[in-house]
Amino acid sequence: MSEAIQPDVTIDSRGATCPGPLMDLIGKVKKADAGTVLELRTTDSSSSHDVPEWVEKAGHELLDVVEHDEEGYWSIYIEKTE
Amino acid sequence: MPGYAIVLASGKFERLQAVANIASIAAASEIPVDVFATMDGLEAFDRDVVAGMDFEIGPVGRAMLEAEHMDMALFSENLARAKELGPISVYACELSMDALGKALEDYEDVFDDVLGVSGFLTRAEDKQVMFV
Repeated sequence: MSEAIQPDVTIDSRGATCPGPLMDLIGKVKKADAGTVLELRTTDSSSSHDVPEWVEKAGHELLDVVEHDEEGYWSIYIEKTE
Repeated sequence: MPGYAIVLASGKFERLQAVANIASIAAASEIPVDVFATMDGLEAFDRDVVAGMDFEIGPVGRAMLEAEHMDMALFSENLARAKELGPISVYACELSMDALGKALEDYEDVFDDVLGVSGFLTRAEDKQVMFV
């Protein structure tokens, strides 16, 4: 599934702690058009759980959360809705 | 969601960080937030205090600051950034400033205005109040 996702925008927040990754994502989501697929990369474990919570509450679509074990980060894929 | 009115009266590092984190995400999510920095909570924004990281810091804050793999933004930076993303206002307590003879220029660039208690209560009357 994740192999097939080709994000329009990739946000590299690796290294930043909460709430940095989510702030990075929200800033990009606000400027994006509906239908835009965004990938957020984070090394922050708490953000890997918390960002999907925000996505659901904000009404966007969570496409996938992929953990890259060897590299030590997560990719969170979302699609912006209207 | 009517929003949050947060009274920030503590200068403890972990409390400052927690307030800024919650307030920033709320504002970025279009939830209105007013932060009223008063007493020790206002002094934590003094430019010299921030420059010298002269805070009361507990074990959690120290661990976060010392962790090489963690790039943690300061509370003042998170609040300043949140103002670009959503409805958040940050106010400095006039009483605290008067007591120390300070001006807004003595503090980090996050404040919208100086307020007294009545001014803050007026802004807080339709919001959920959190005291930290």
